[in-house]
Amino acid sequence: MDSLRQEKIQKFEEFVDRRLKPDLVHAIVERDKIFDQQKIFSDLRKNIENLEKNSVTSLRTLVNLGSEVYMQAEVPDTQRIFVDVGLGFHVEFTWSEALKFISLREEKLERQIEEYTRLIASIKAQIKLVCEGIRELLQIPEEKTVEGRVF
Amino acid sequence: MGKSEVKGTVTSLSSMFPAEEVQKAAKMVEEKLSEKQNEMNQLKEFIANNTSLINLVQKLPDELHHDIMVPFGKAAFFPGRLIHTNEFLVLLGESYYTERTAKQTVEILKRRGKSLESKVDALKAVMQDLKAEASFFDSTASEAAEGLVEIREYEEDNSTERASQSGSLELETPSVAEADNKMGASEDDEYARIMSRLEELEKEELAAEDNEENLEDEDEDANAVESDGNEDELTKAAEGDGDEDELTKAAFHRKKDECYSYLDHGQRYSESRKQLQQFNGKEPIEEMSNKYKHQDLTKQFASTGLTEEPVTKGEISHGQIIQQDTQTLSPSINAFAPFEKKSVQTSKSEFDSSKAFTGSIVEHTQNLDKSSVGTNMTSLQSSGSQPWKPVSRFKMQRK
Repeated sequence: MDSLRQEKIQKFEEFVDRRLKPDLVHAIVERDKIFDQQKIFSDLRKNIENLEKNSVTSLRTLVNLGSEVYMQAEVPDTQRIFVDVGLGFHVEFTWSEALKFISLREEKLERQIEEYTRLIASIKAQIKLVCEGIRELLQIPEEKTVEGRVF
Repeated sequence: MGKSEVKGTVTSLSSMFPAEEVQKAAKMVEEKLSEKQNEMNQLKEFIANNTSLINLVQKLPDELHHDIMVPFGKAAFFPGRLIHTNEFLVLLGESYYTERTAKQTVEILKRRGKSLESKVDALKAVMQDLKAEASFFDSTASEAAEGLVEIREYEEDNSTERASQSGSLELETPSVAEADNKMGASEDDEYARIMSRLEELEKEELAAEDNEENLEDEDEDANAVESDGNEDELTKAAEGDGDEDELTKAAFHRKKDECYSYLDHGQRYSESRKQLQQFNGKEPIEEMSNKYKHQDLTKQFASTGLTEEPVTKGEISHGQIIQQDTQTLSPSINAFAPFEKKSVQTSKSEFDSSKAFTGSIVEHTQNLDKSSVGTNMTSLQSSGSQPWKPVSRFKMQRK
């Protein structure tokens, strides 16, 4: 009986360590990427709104040539902006179109983030479940007791 | 032969370097090596980027304006143009920027490239060390697996064991250890042997004196014959000495004894042997003895108690020794190296051994009489000098 139990416990532990934990890590990494993308687009949106607000027609920037060597660049007409829509394509937009696109993009990113969050939560729950099972097998008393005072 | 009072230890390599640990160490070294390799790749990438940037910076001032897509954040571009194509803003680090022209920027980038290259070189050196370490571990692991045994022997006065210790797949005893053991041979026995050898050799030399050259065969035979029995050192030393002693047997007896003792004690066992063999004439032996004297005197005297001997020897012998010593000191040192190269040559024959040598010809000032130009004086200065040196001196002394 005991040996069987030990085996089961070991199996559970292995499952947790080999499958669940890496899955968790992976899911978290993916979600972080999406967070970054979301940030990029939100920054872009803010910039465009800024440009619109100030009616900036042309602007001067510093372009990074590589290894932090900058060169002045001038944008004569800021009306047209090319936005990366994925799969290596850049679409020419006007400001308003760009803003619309960005908001759509942001929605999509939010949905993805939510999915990942759900996945992460489920993995965490599974890990907890397995740990509980091990505890039961070892008959270790529960760590949390919700009991109040016992009279 | 010998007394077996050798103290020594036999340790199997596998006990000193357990195979598993060695493998673990090898793995660790490999990991470090791969880390360094990654760093190296990164550095090389930096260098490549740097060079391409230098090219770009050099090309840009060719035009007044360049039409480009100006990035706006990470996901958007603006069509625009590069202006002020000769002005570059370079980051120096710590949020310090500087405006530079194209040429100046190129210089900055070149300096950066140099520092990167020096970093790469340093990293290469480190990697090489790691590789050497890894190979050492690998070889040790394989050796330990083979069951290699390390044998150490310690000198003992009475120990005369020379035989390399068997039982191991490979002998790791240094030759010095053997020599040390040999040094322990009893002096008395050596004495007796040496004396007998000397006498034999002297006889031979006397016979060979007339025919100084072309005695290789004799020498070889004599050496071979004489080498039997006594320890190799002694026999060879005796033989070698014997040749020389023919002329000045009385004078050199003691010297030879000393020399032999030195030979035994000295760590030039093999060398001395060869030298002796090579020495055809008497001089070589004398020289050798002298050499050994010089070299081993200080040590041997105390141990062998022969310190008094040179002093007690006849004036002539002493003088001869001195002469020879001065001459032979340097050659003797050189002699050792080449000796091993040369095949054992008869030390007895006067000039045969010299002929066999392919070393450089060293003419000793002492060899005034003998014109054994043909004799090649290998560093050992053996045989060649033998015929003429001893003959000249000893003959004079005797006659």
